[in-house]
Amino acid sequence: MDFDSAQRLTEILLALAFLQQSLEHLSAARDEQRLFALRIVLSLLLLFGVQSQWATVGLVILSLPILHRFQGPYNGGSDRMGLLILICLCLSHFAPNQSWKDIALGYLALQLVLSYLISGWVKIVNPDWRSGRALSDVFQFSAYPVSENLRSIARQPRLVLAASWAVMLFEIAFPATLLHPVTLIAGLSVAGLFHLANAVLFGLNRFFWVWLAAYPSILWLQHRVFASIQF
Amino acid sequence: MLKSLKFFAPVLIPSWRFFDTIAASPRIEFALLGAADETAADWQEFRPRPQNLSFGTVLRRLFWNPNWNDTLFLTSCAERLLENPTEHSVTEISTRIAASLNPAEGDEFFQFRLVLISRAGDDLQKEVAYISPRQLMTRPGA
Repeated sequence: MDFDSAQRLTEILLALAFLQQSLEHLSAARDEQRLFALRIVLSLLLLFGVQSQWATVGLVILSLPILHRFQGPYNGGSDRMGLLILICLCLSHFAPNQSWKDIALGYLALQLVLSYLISGWVKIVNPDWRSGRALSDVFQFSAYPVSENLRSIARQPRLVLAASWAVMLFEIAFPATLLHPVTLIAGLSVAGLFHLANAVLFGLNRFFWVWLAAYPSILWLQHRVFASIQF
Repeated sequence: MLKSLKFFAPVLIPSWRFFDTIAASPRIEFALLGAADETAADWQEFRPRPQNLSFGTVLRRLFWNPNWNDTLFLTSCAERLLENPTEHSVTEISTRIAASLNPAEGDEFFQFRLVLISRAGDDLQKEVAYISPRQLMTRPGA
């Protein structure tokens, strides 16, 4: 994937993620409606490629009153990732030359890799995660399971232990998928299924859509860095 | 607005420490009161999760999930309230509780509290960590 394709595809996926989020706010209080109606307009410009670079500037500026409104991110990590993608996109448009544009999109790709690697590392060094206890706690008493019936998963220790190790090993191993385009696509497919499972079990639908928007950057970076290396 | 700029730092250099430890989890409960000096007794969980979700609902929530995302935001507000109490967190929680109430005759006030649920050995324990001031109910059209 070349730079222009990755940049454009990131714009489209991010615009769709922002539209999905913003529409959810249109049934909220009047002050929220105004902020997110404006976000919808700017996201549509980004989606259809109309003055994309200025749409990203507008969306970055608009993120300030939105952060102020909620005194931080509304939806934690998914909002932070959305904003990170947006800032990297904005910088990739206004960077003075191609090298700096590459750095802007490359930084996004790097953070995507770190989002899995660090997340896996902090789990695997925790004995509660290695024993399956932490994931059991998530199901048993955290605020995330979307229904009461899902809490019964906490009473299936073998399943929870297997799922804990599957998540940790996948997250830790994700950087290795960069070695070949096929392994990267396989890794991103597993990652997408992981986010889908989080959306189904914990209602984290925004994470699913916004993380997908960062995937073109890693596909581009893999091609850029590893294309000439033969294994 | 300057305060909003400080939220950019963790965006540009994220920590990505998702679920590193599973801390005690707050639940929001509320009670209706007949008078400002009444002691709340009948606490009810705010927005309890359903017993089960159909496949269709799960599918729809991939695209449209405003209530659940708002509930997750209120959980963040509850965590912020326990770490660093602000009027903003109290207002966000109170406003949503007030909007959801259908008070009976005689219910004039409401109050909310935060209950922390955590694991103690093999059991779960509950601890009341915060009780809000009593708040006057506003009725539609009032």
